[in-house]
Amino acid sequence: MNNEFEPKILAFVCNWCTYAGADLTGTSRIKYASNVKIVRFPCTGRIDFMLLLKAFANGSDGVIVSGCHPNDCHYTSGNFHARRRWILFRSLLDFMGIDIRRIQFSWVSAAEGAKWADIVNTTVASIRELGPYTEYQRAGDFLANNEEELAKEMEVNNG
Amino acid sequence: MDELRTKAKELFEKGEIDIFIGYEEGTRNPRPLFANNADETQKLVFNDMCTGNLAVYLTRKDLVKGKRVGISASYYALKSIAQLFVENQLKEESLKVFGLSSDRKIQALNSLEEIKQYLKDTPPPPKLKDDELIKQIDEMSSAERWAFWSDELSKCFKCYACRAACPMCYCTKCIVEVNRPQWIQPWASTLGNMEWQINRVMHMAGRCSDCGSCGTACPIGIPIHLLTHKMSETVKINFGDSSEKGNVLSTFKPEDKESFIL
Amino acid sequence: MSKIGVFVCHCGENISATVDCEKVAEEASKITGVEVSVDYKYMCSDPGQTMIKEAIKEKGLTGVVVAACSPRMHEPTFRKACSEAGLNPYMCEMTNLREHCSWVHEKGDQTTEKAIDLVRMLVEKTKLNKPLNSIKVPIHKKALVIGGGIAGIQSSLDIANAGHQVILVEKDPSIGGHMSQLSETFPTLDCSQCILTPRMVEVAQHPNITLYTYAELEKLEGFIGNFKATIRLKAKSVDPKLCTGCGVCYSKCPTKKIPSEFNEGLGLRTAIYTPFPQAVPNKPVIDKTNCTYYTKGKCKVCQKVCPTGAIDFDRPDEFITEDIGAVVTATGFNVLKPNFFPEYGYGKYKDVITGLQFERLASASGPTLGAIRRPSDGTEPKKIVFIACAGSRDPAKGLPYCSKICCMYTAKHAMLYQHKVHDGESYVFYMDIRAAGKNYEEFVRRAIEDDGVNYVRGRVARVYEKDGKLIVKGVDTLLGGKPVEIEADMVVLASAGVASHGAEELAQKMHISYDPYKFFAEAHPKLKPVETNTAGIFLCGACQAPKDIPETVGMASGAAAKVIGLFSNSELTREPVVAVVNRIASHEVSTCVGCFLCETACPYQAIVHEEIKNRAGEVIKTVAQVNPGLCQGCGTCVSFCRSKSIDIQGFSNEQMYAEVMAVLEA
Repeated sequence: MNNEFEPKILAFVCNWCTYAGADLTGTSRIKYASNVKIVRFPCTGRIDFMLLLKAFANGSDGVIVSGCHPNDCHYTSGNFHARRRWILFRSLLDFMGIDIRRIQFSWVSAAEGAKWADIVNTTVASIRELGPYTEYQRAGDFLANNEEELAKEMEVNNG
Repeated sequence: MDELRTKAKELFEKGEIDIFIGYEEGTRNPRPLFANNADETQKLVFNDMCTGNLAVYLTRKDLVKGKRVGISASYYALKSIAQLFVENQLKEESLKVFGLSSDRKIQALNSLEEIKQYLKDTPPPPKLKDDELIKQIDEMSSAERWAFWSDELSKCFKCYACRAACPMCYCTKCIVEVNRPQWIQPWASTLGNMEWQINRVMHMAGRCSDCGSCGTACPIGIPIHLLTHKMSETVKINFGDSSEKGNVLSTFKPEDKESFIL
Repeated sequence: MSKIGVFVCHCGENISATVDCEKVAEEASKITGVEVSVDYKYMCSDPGQTMIKEAIKEKGLTGVVVAACSPRMHEPTFRKACSEAGLNPYMCEMTNLREHCSWVHEKGDQTTEKAIDLVRMLVEKTKLNKPLNSIKVPIHKKALVIGGGIAGIQSSLDIANAGHQVILVEKDPSIGGHMSQLSETFPTLDCSQCILTPRMVEVAQHPNITLYTYAELEKLEGFIGNFKATIRLKAKSVDPKLCTGCGVCYSKCPTKKIPSEFNEGLGLRTAIYTPFPQAVPNKPVIDKTNCTYYTKGKCKVCQKVCPTGAIDFDRPDEFITEDIGAVVTATGFNVLKPNFFPEYGYGKYKDVITGLQFERLASASGPTLGAIRRPSDGTEPKKIVFIACAGSRDPAKGLPYCSKICCMYTAKHAMLYQHKVHDGESYVFYMDIRAAGKNYEEFVRRAIEDDGVNYVRGRVARVYEKDGKLIVKGVDTLLGGKPVEIEADMVVLASAGVASHGAEELAQKMHISYDPYKFFAEAHPKLKPVETNTAGIFLCGACQAPKDIPETVGMASGAAAKVIGLFSNSELTREPVVAVVNRIASHEVSTCVGCFLCETACPYQAIVHEEIKNRAGEVIKTVAQVNPGLCQGCGTCVSFCRSKSIDIQGFSNEQMYAEVMAVLEA
């Protein structure tokens, strides 16, 4: 048993390409790290950026977002919309100092079972190196962050 | 100045408008004036000092519902008005818009086309100070940026003045009020404040006029207008100036470039 | 309060070999709201399904989570089982313990823990599932077929023979398409027109088919079962009701020197013309760009000579709209235009022609009545060179694909040439011979062995003229790249098949996708070859990719079968995984502010404007509404909506949020 840090990673994938690709990884019996859990969406266009933030706020150390390659979208253009969204979202997060190395975007087709295993393994390795993402979660803890100040305020209020 | 008063008065006298939204002299800067009749128009002023984005009042139902409106609009207000048209929030026939021409004359802008032409011909007022601040933040390390913004946003107490000041924030139910699910932490933690700002800025992407009213409105001076300013810049760099229909996030080009998707 | 049943499948040993299924079931039973949690060897087996059904009945379950294989495999199975036990099928979800867990991880605690998390995620999602009912869409049982080539003809006849109304739209003055231009067809060498023209006549006479020639689709609105098609009937300048097709007009027309499209420019036609003698309908049209009256304002000879007074110069284009239930797109292909090969001298040398031009030369109805003659001087070519892959399989020129039909028609051309010019010598330069098809390889062998066609494997570098001969310079790669030089009398280019003119525009009108070469894209390359990404619009023939006649006809019947299948019910049943705009509380309330940015984001034009009115009938506000017949359930609008006024059934905001939170809060 080693004491290596095991990152928690959520994968947001579309039903038609990456989910099917991950199915192929399974049927091909390609082994990969068990840190990643997949959430199935109809399309990358459906993936709300807030869900990524919520994942971080609630203890995820990393996130994978994956869907169909450009021009392969089951719904013709969901991934193109998603791509625009991620270009802006990523730039905004970076500007605010939120660690964008923790979000891995990829296109994995239904035929790319091996690529999926690869994406998972490299993401797990890089997040493991970055360590747990505590800064973001901690920012959500209102009471803990303001304990001192709140205590003072209480003192004042209580006379 | 007299010119605008004359024109606004004329509109009232001809019965073409019910309210004129403009500026009057304020203590330091001009402040909004809502003229409900011809007499009240005589307090109107309109000059380079008038920078507040009056377009915000065009979607305030309590103020303008069912009314025909005249408005004096700064460069950024005109940008907002153009976007509001695209988003089906304004009707050409019940709106009279006046801008300031390059030689500081009152210029009537009678249609969305004319407003678009004006925006094409007129360079946006420079934002040297904001550009400099953004440059400073860009030059920081990621950790420093995090420290900067988490410190700034820890002060926010969610008064939503930024939302109230913004012409594009006209939703009847804002995402912060959506509680199934609770997308944004309702209490004022640093994280909840960040979530709100990230949502606000993402919602502004490609729609924002970059007027900076959000930052001006913030009672504790958090430079949140830098977020929208930066977003406007990012949009421009990646997708060009503006799309004809919809906005940047509701449209796409197959050849959009990115460098981070494996 | 939710009563969720969790059913963990061992899948024989496929799951249980690495996941401790009993522990998963045990842990799942501790999740709030889980009423029953069991594991079993094969959940999909009869006893397994019975177990689920009984639990639903006995425990009054409100939701079911089956932890087994991929939902892409067995979701329909388990949803059906739930439905049979009286639970709404959409209250059943699957979590993937096999493909996404047991098969990809080693046996161990971590793997079991992941499995437990996966179950937890889906339990939390399922708690928020809502019963959904399939969507019923009425169907208008009339088909629109676009394109009157062999694909459109076959499709129209099949649909019409099944008893449904068909509207066939053809942009040219006659139906028949490219097949009507061909001389003989491979691999049987039967005459193309002999087999095609009876079908053309059948179309014209069929009581269920309305034929519009010289017409184009102007606009297509609506959705599967309920399209509204606007068709532009281009002014023919000849009233078809009065015209008897006697032909006096075109025999008297003074403008006689227009290159005939039907003869690929090798023959001439008049300004008022029927494209070819067997045209259907056999009534002329006036080509306005070449008619002296239209260009210079005088002439009107045809009007003077017409015995029935059918000529009508002033009639404008007409528009008709039709209610349509399904569309078959059969717009065919074009051959690559000649200036593409400057090195082969097409356009520069009259005797360098395309394969389609050769068809006209070889055709008994062609400009030479079937005799092979040089376009330049009318002499019989004694030495002829066929160049295969002229444009095809040439990534450098942007056409990396194989046009598929050229190998075969080139063999046919060489064979026809040998049959007609007994002392002639023919050469075929080729890259590979692709003769995959019934009797195809035998056909090519016959050309080589019986008819003595010389096949040279290699590409032609250049064709140039010298002393009245066409010098063809190439290499023979089978002889180690030995240079070959042939003094030919004629060169025939097997030019690539490309998308038909205006394919892109048409695709945009119909909102179907197309590939980089403007061929229309099928919905799935293997399993949905005749469907498009827009429900209710089907494809057949060479508009999808170059293909030969048998394949085209097969595909056309396939598309027709899809249409007939669709029309066999009066209503269409669709998965209820679609977007909806909230209309909370009373009817008058929606949080939608009507910015309609979702409208531009929707790939299916499924967003419509809905006016909310008060009791006095005044419009209070205009909000978005989703047409469930058009919505395919991608959910792009959902994550795009700022006020979260639009949501998608089955993958709602609450459901996805709960699923994400479940794993992390543990």
